[in-house]
Amino acid sequence: MIGKIRFLLAETGQNIWRNIALTFASIIVVAASLSLFGASRLVADGVDNATQRWEGGIEFVVFMKADAEPSQLVAIETLLAESEGKEIDDWNFVSKEETFSEFTEFFAGDEELLGTISVDTMPPSYRIRPTDTNAGAVEALGTTFETKPGVRTVVFATEVIREIQDNASKISRATLWAGVALVVASTIMILTTLSIAIASRRNEIEIMKLVGASNWFIRVPFMIEGMVQGVVGALVALPGLAFVRTYLIEDFSESDNLRLLEGFRVSDAEFLFTSLLVIAIGTLVATIGSIVAVSRYLDV
Amino acid sequence: MDNEHESGQPATRTLGEPIVITDGVKKWFGDFQALKGITTSVKEQEVVVVIGPSGSGKSTFIRLLNREEKPTVGKVYVAGKDIVGLSSWKVPFLRRNIGCIFQDYRLLPKRTVAENVAFALEVIGRPKHVIDQQVPAILDLVGLSEKSHRMPDELSGGEQQRVSIARAFVNRPLILLADEPTGNLDPDTAVGIMRLLDRINRTGTTVVMATHDRGIVDTMRRRVIELSDGRIVRDQSGGQYR
Repeated sequence: MIGKIRFLLAETGQNIWRNIALTFASIIVVAASLSLFGASRLVADGVDNATQRWEGGIEFVVFMKADAEPSQLVAIETLLAESEGKEIDDWNFVSKEETFSEFTEFFAGDEELLGTISVDTMPPSYRIRPTDTNAGAVEALGTTFETKPGVRTVVFATEVIREIQDNASKISRATLWAGVALVVASTIMILTTLSIAIASRRNEIEIMKLVGASNWFIRVPFMIEGMVQGVVGALVALPGLAFVRTYLIEDFSESDNLRLLEGFRVSDAEFLFTSLLVIAIGTLVATIGSIVAVSRYLDV
Repeated sequence: MDNEHESGQPATRTLGEPIVITDGVKKWFGDFQALKGITTSVKEQEVVVVIGPSGSGKSTFIRLLNREEKPTVGKVYVAGKDIVGLSSWKVPFLRRNIGCIFQDYRLLPKRTVAENVAFALEVIGRPKHVIDQQVPAILDLVGLSEKSHRMPDELSGGEQQRVSIARAFVNRPLILLADEPTGNLDPDTAVGIMRLLDRINRTGTTVVMATHDRGIVDTMRRRVIELSDGRIVRDQSGGQYR
């Protein structure tokens, strides 16, 4: 058994070495397509996170002070209840605990930051959907809350955020399709590389068949070769995704001009999920490419 | 070849049960009919020489016996098994019992003599200690012990054919199929190859050989099956080329 495995691995190694230029090209195509696919997901996650509090037509958020008195909260809620059905269509309260929970989920892994906060330091807030979404009307309504006791600040959904939110789904859809197209291209690339590998070893394959090598024994080295291309391509894509996360998404959101996009970042869990998805797709692409190649070009 | 062949006398040997049977085999390639109803059998330990002009169906007949081709009509039995209906995953196991040699040797140019022979055992999953024991033994049998580390292009045609025979025989098959094994060799070298095949036959292996080589056929005086236009026109023990 060990001898068989050693022989199959040696054969695979020889296949890859003989076909090194195409194998390399295949890995690059897989890595590029999976990087694009993964990056589109990370950007979509970033946009979702940055605009989460603005989803569902929420136009402004009234942040209370962390140490606001319960009576001050009651006063705001009374005011909101009175306006409901008139200037305000709907509103909801986000407690200190909910804010803390969102925050910790969001910054999971950032121990330094999380060490400085607690439930008590979190501001409770009211997310408000006005009836009239005209910018002037929203601003007039919002500013009436700024002067109320216990209110820290009122943050408005600006046109930029609204635009980003509106376009986010279009962007994710477009990049997803581009990613899918490239993933298909990767499959074809692996398929082609393997068909060339099979053609270049036709003498050995013929002899293997004549001396009674089993069909799987002939196929396995080519299948491993395809898997190596897919999985290595996916692994090469991962540092690219880390770069996108750190330098494009997070540094970008910290630039002064884009303060509006505060919270435009990707959590560790989201990054891990995307990384695993990229590896899974790389493996899937390789499996499909390999199976099609050996069944189509390897007549055993 | 042993002396009795060289003296022109047919070999007398006790033969076993039929190991190959073809029954009404016809084979078309598109519109061309290569075989037009071949019914014959080959016994265990027999040597059968298949002769006939180019295009008479010799190679097709040989290729049917290890399931490289399937007949369009008819049955082929090897060692008692119907190999036409054999499912494709069982074909490799059939081929482990059938060695093949060819006019063009079909050696792997980037492997040494020993590696070429070992390849046949490696790809059917034989353990290393078996390979280490059997490869030198078979190279000794074919007279190439001294050249086990040479590359195929460093050998003469006759030596390359010996490597090919070693590869075909290393797994001790029941049947050895040879398609024009001396086609690329000069007469003296061809005689050496035939002697080797005869030695292999004496170990109990059945040999079915297609050839054009008149000298070999006339000297061997073994059973001759002559094909012409896809039909058997002669089946004669101790036959000559004519």
